[in-house]
Amino acid sequence: MKRATVFVGMMLVSSILYAEEGEGLRVPMPAKISKAWKSECGSCHMAYPPGLLPGRSWQAIMNGLSNHFGNNASLDKVTEAEIRQFLVYNSADHDVRPLPATAKPTPTPRITETAWFRRAHSEVPSSVFRRQGVGSAANCMACHHAADKGVFAEEDVSIPR
Amino acid sequence: MKATCLTMLLLLATAAQAGPAEQIAGYRSAAQAADPSFKDFSAERGRELYYRKVMKNGKMVSCASCHSQDPRQPGQTPAFRPIGPMATAVNPKRFTDPQKTEKWFRRNCDDVLSRQCTPQEKGDYLTFLSSIR
Ligand code: HEC
Ligand code: HEC
Ligand code: HEC
Repeated sequence: MKRATVFVGMMLVSSILYAEEGEGLRVPMPAKISKAWKSECGSCHMAYPPGLLPGRSWQAIMNGLSNHFGNNASLDKVTEAEIRQFLVYNSADHDVRPLPATAKPTPTPRITETAWFRRAHSEVPSSVFRRQGVGSAANCMACHHAADKGVFAEEDVSIPR
Repeated sequence: MKATCLTMLLLLATAAQAGPAEQIAGYRSAAQAADPSFKDFSAERGRELYYRKVMKNGKMVSCASCHSQDPRQPGQTPAFRPIGPMATAVNPKRFTDPQKTEKWFRRNCDDVLSRQCTPQEKGDYLTFLSSIR
């Protein structure tokens, strides 16, 4: 039952987002999860599923960890390489190009600034995202209680009052 | 530089049994190596560090901004995820993994103080948080 719901939910998300966004969005979680990703990228916010952004956006995020939205989120080299690979290879576009040696620093991309995110939340006023129990749009878990499992189905959404 | 290497070595050496007391012992040797006149850690200095306010991007920040005003209470990250309490008396998982402790000192001292913390500051900080009942 639960499984079926989850599956349908994911189909909806991907079909809607595939249809509207050239990049495509793959919400299902990879079968093999990187433990380092789960713990390191899940310590300040939920570990955002890799399918929510294309490979080049994850590259830009991984290039800018020492000033990550105003926070030092830097990692040792080995952990950084592992997480970078996990995110890029499981990204929305399954990017498998060779990793660029050094990229110019770019503004850190946000999931919450993608076209699909704005469209999916067109009915959520920005004041709701700033509510006490939410904080910001980046706090997916405040409304999507199974977001860390890649589930964004309507049945699993409830907005804190 | 030398002090950093020493800290690392000491941390590795104490990794096997690594509660707050072992980590404090590691920082003590590093603090002595850095400054021969070093006497002992002070919970009072650790408290001062915990609450010290610094202007950052137009806002006053301190360790307490994320770790909460009362270290026995949970804190919250700027991305709204809860952080477990820092006081060892209420959170037995605190300061039990030297790699984790060092990683967050590296990040958070940079975030708040825009520099690295010294072994003495780290020892003071752990002493303060282990002294709270
Ligand atoms: C030291 C804390 C910290 C760590 C560790 C951390 N982040 Fe973040 N992250 C933040 C903050 C703060 C924000 C901004 C949240 C907001 O605007 O509400 C953020 C935002 C993000 C966003 C954008 C969310 C949006 O608004 O769409 C992404 C993507 C992201 N982080 C990925 C990562 C990845 C990948 C890692 C692991 C390599 C990571 N983060 C580790 C603190 C952290
Ligand atoms: C304030 C609450 C709130 C927050 C925070 C929030 N969302 Fe949503 N989200 C909603 C609502 C409401 C909908 C529309 C529900 C529906 O009709 O399926 C939605 C829809 C979606 C959908 C489309 C689901 C579908 O079936 O069409 C996706 C994907 C999604 N959100 C992802 C995210 C991600 C990723 C984050 C965090 C970066 C996030 N959301 C943060 C409330 C929120
Ligand atoms: C921007 C938010 C933020 C600020 C400010 C902050 N911290 Fe942290 N700190 C965190 C997070 C997140 C963690 C990891 C979560 C956890 O351990 O539960 C952490 C963990 C730690 C740890 C590791 C604890 C352990 O169990 O090993 C230490 C040490 C630490 N912080 C020291 C400091 C010091 C010193 C300051 C002030 C100079 C400070 N922090 C300020 C967010 C912050």
